[in-house]
Amino acid sequence: MSDHVTVTIDGRKLEVPAGELLIEAAQEHGTYIPRFCWHPRMKPVGMCRMCLVELETPRGPAIVTACTTPVSDGMVVHTRNETVQRMQEGVLEFLLINHPLDCPVCDRGGECPLQDHVMAYGPGESRFVEEKRHFEKPIPISELVLLDRERCILCARCTRFSEEISGDPLIEFTDRGNGVHIATFPDLPFSSYFSGNTVQICPVGALTATAYRFRARPWDLEAVESTCMHCTAGDRINLQASHNEVVRILGVDVEPTNQGWLSDRCRFGFQYVGSPDRLTVPLIRDAEQGHTEVTWSEALDLAATRIGEVLAGSGGQSVAVLGGARLTNEDAYALSKFARVVLGTNHVDAQMDDGLDPQFLAATVDRALISDLDSAKAILVWGPDLKEEHPTLYLRVRRAAQELGAALVVVHPRRTGLDDRATHKLTYRPGEGADLLTELVAGSGRASQARQALAEGPVVGLVGRTGYGEDPRLAEAVAAFVRTLPDARILPLARRANIYGALDMGLAPTLLPGRVSVGGEGARSIAEAWGGLAEHPGLDTRGILEAAAAGDIEVLFLVGADPLRDVPDGALARRALERVPFVVAIDQFLTDSSRLADVVFCADGFAEKEGTVTNLEGRVQKVNRIVPGPGQTRPDWSILDDLARRLGVELGFGSAEAISKEIADVAPAYRGVTWDRLDWEERDGIVVPDGGEAPLRFVPADTPGTRAGGDLVLHLARVMYDDGVTVRHSPSLAGLAPGAAVHLHPDDAARLGLASAETARVVTEQGEATLPIRLDDTLHRGVVYVPFNQPGMPPLGPGPAVTVTPA
Amino acid sequence: MLPRTMSRWSPETRERARRILARYPEKRSAVMPLLYLAAAEDGHLTPEGMEEVARWVGLTPAQVQSVASFYTMYKRERTGRYLVSCCTSISCMLLGADEVLAAVEDEAGVPAGETDDEGVITVEHVECIGACGGAPALQVNYELVEGVTPDTARELIRWLRSASPEAVHTDEMQELFGTRRSFDWAVPERVGAVGPFPAFEPYGTTDGNP
Ligand code: SF4
Ligand code: FES
Ligand code: FES
Repeated sequence: MSDHVTVTIDGRKLEVPAGELLIEAAQEHGTYIPRFCWHPRMKPVGMCRMCLVELETPRGPAIVTACTTPVSDGMVVHTRNETVQRMQEGVLEFLLINHPLDCPVCDRGGECPLQDHVMAYGPGESRFVEEKRHFEKPIPISELVLLDRERCILCARCTRFSEEISGDPLIEFTDRGNGVHIATFPDLPFSSYFSGNTVQICPVGALTATAYRFRARPWDLEAVESTCMHCTAGDRINLQASHNEVVRILGVDVEPTNQGWLSDRCRFGFQYVGSPDRLTVPLIRDAEQGHTEVTWSEALDLAATRIGEVLAGSGGQSVAVLGGARLTNEDAYALSKFARVVLGTNHVDAQMDDGLDPQFLAATVDRALISDLDSAKAILVWGPDLKEEHPTLYLRVRRAAQELGAALVVVHPRRTGLDDRATHKLTYRPGEGADLLTELVAGSGRASQARQALAEGPVVGLVGRTGYGEDPRLAEAVAAFVRTLPDARILPLARRANIYGALDMGLAPTLLPGRVSVGGEGARSIAEAWGGLAEHPGLDTRGILEAAAAGDIEVLFLVGADPLRDVPDGALARRALERVPFVVAIDQFLTDSSRLADVVFCADGFAEKEGTVTNLEGRVQKVNRIVPGPGQTRPDWSILDDLARRLGVELGFGSAEAISKEIADVAPAYRGVTWDRLDWEERDGIVVPDGGEAPLRFVPADTPGTRAGGDLVLHLARVMYDDGVTVRHSPSLAGLAPGAAVHLHPDDAARLGLASAETARVVTEQGEATLPIRLDDTLHRGVVYVPFNQPGMPPLGPGPAVTVTPA
Repeated sequence: MLPRTMSRWSPETRERARRILARYPEKRSAVMPLLYLAAAEDGHLTPEGMEEVARWVGLTPAQVQSVASFYTMYKRERTGRYLVSCCTSISCMLLGADEVLAAVEDEAGVPAGETDDEGVITVEHVECIGACGGAPALQVNYELVEGVTPDTARELIRWLRSASPEAVHTDEMQELFGTRRSFDWAVPERVGAVGPFPAFEPYGTTDGNP
């Protein structure tokens, strides 16, 4: 075995991969070498000296750091002999010269590597009597993270993370020498979307999170592994609760998805679960008193009666269902079956007018795995700003470009978080993407170099909609282009929670469970299994809202959906909701939309139920329960089950797990996916086969393009912190939304007479708003950028035509 | 990330910065010479100066601060016209550096690390300045004086105040206030407390123009 070498560790002869670091090789064979600064996901620095070991060399014993020494053939290593033990004692005695012994009041106490190492390897007693270093404590380094400089052992994990992994090195060692400490630049906080990771990897309690500080002790925590439901990457998390309250989320290091990292939204966005604003009882609205609390049977009876009347009168055509992306696959399946069988409707859509064809998202062929990014020669990102909408995917792409040498082509109307690592960056005006794609396909014009960068495979294309002003069909045309590249794979990008699971369960007008097309081949066997299916063609969110606004929808279900805030055309959503005679909401909060609902059912949410979710690769993973839902909340499937029974249909859902078995039977792509396998042998999930019944519709040859009339185009896009329910009800995050604003290129601002104006009037076909102006010279000329759904912002609509005038 | 704001530097300084940057294959390698420019521009290294350097070299201000704060010769506080650096390392200490420092502090009216109200004199104590043979030693604007005593040190401070020399030179000060001299110290250089630094001429900080 030439790629292996033989080393002797503490007298044991071992075969280990050549070139591996000694600290890793030893650990793989059961010898733990203590460490502070070394982290398996970052480059070694050899800062802390905790990993010192002794080597036998021809020139006598040598002391080396195991974290920076690669194994070599014939190496003889001692990790626990007397010399090493004395060195370990020395290192720890030195570390404790300045480290305070405030473990009883330190968040890390009980799970602190320093505490543990001192107990296991320390001298037991210190000879130092001198005064320790003192600093003001703690100081905030961001809105979310506090720094206690006295506790810092200078391992550089946090600074290396910010430079190597997240790419925003806003913390660094300062005053190097005796007074060295971690610092931000004055007035420039570590406002990274990933700051919470430094708290998790700090080997002491120097970095603490405001959301968790003094909330619990490690030995009081209950923990369960689960999957994050904020973005669609399906990041593995460790969900921790104390006294029936979720108090902390940690990233779990798994190779396929997040490699241990989480964005701050995923890490701290759990707070909404325990929000005092959660719905705890069902509500009924009456004209005079607004919402009043009722019992479950009253609410269910009322809903069943009204729905029954409508179904008997105008039938399923006049009933529609919006939402479902926040549900587990089991709940989504229940909703899909409920809609098709009980309501008899195909007007079902979980994609709140995000605009992408459900077939494209769910049934992409040549679908990539996230880990394909590691071996890609070239990566094309033509879609949303990954840093804003797919944060852990952003880290993975960043790493591929920065550390693994992949060429990176980024196409977007403005700057994105990846630009500093992109080998080629192209900007364009939304609506003119088709022209740029034509150039890219031909390798001509300003796209010629980018085209060359994509010539060598394997290529991974991350493709989605850059913003709401973009023609959604463009993404499909881009994907079709990617398929022509050598050894190409595609990750279709959509951002809401379990949207891929929802689509796979048929929460789309054209899809049935298992990516079966409505009216397609596979539909017959589903109809058989279900005992019937809706027949009429279904409407998507936009169609449903338009029909509702025209008075053609009589019952509207909102399932974890807040169309007033969540669809780009908020004004249309308002007209629709005000017109529909009977609105049923299943939700965790009273949102702007569910406030207009006639019946509101309170549902269990994240961390309160067990089930599965599907990520953007098609990876099915478990989510688990750690706390009970507040008050009288119930799982969605059981609410629907009861409602169906009152409408005379027995759906036969006994439990979420029973539903998962039904999914495995009915949905072809989900054969063989069971909770048992996911809980035990397949903890990293099962990737269901890619593809479905309907191929891509758009190819570059007939690239579409909606052009806006005027010379300005609106780029309305989502950012990480907005005014959505999860952020709004998580106190740590609520203040982080950047706020409503219109971003203009300085040249455009000057042309429009706005060079020195503070605010501007922004008008689209669908709405208008007066917004503060931000100048941004990274914008493509003629692009007007507005972040979507910011606190206090009136619905502006997607444009793309827009006018900007002095306010 | 930082907004891309306009440069605060004069056109000449910017031109000089461009020339410095051109010397390095990696922009970030230019951080140290550019810090000298920033210090010369503002009289000392200000947060704004460090932000400006960060923009030029493509680092974050925190990273630039990390470099700047390692070197004591990047003055991050207002520095007087004459910077008096008293050596307190071992050779000097054995030969009375503590008394010399105390005399300088007393005469200048400020403790080490501070600048007088008029902005004329800054006192600091430093580690070995390589003049052990002529200990105790001190420097004024990095020009050496060897073999000083508490009394001659006081005279030196008074002289700086009254004569207010345009530029200080080793030979002249040694003549007036020094005694033992270890060896002949190079050519006189015309420097201020925060530059230009002739020693960095090869890196373009003085632009051939000390
Ligand atoms: S704050 Fe924590 S992670 Fe950062 S250097 Fe100090 S001990 Fe290491
Ligand atoms: S772990 Fe090796 S030096 Fe820190
Ligand atoms: S000890 Fe003062 S010059 Fe060396």
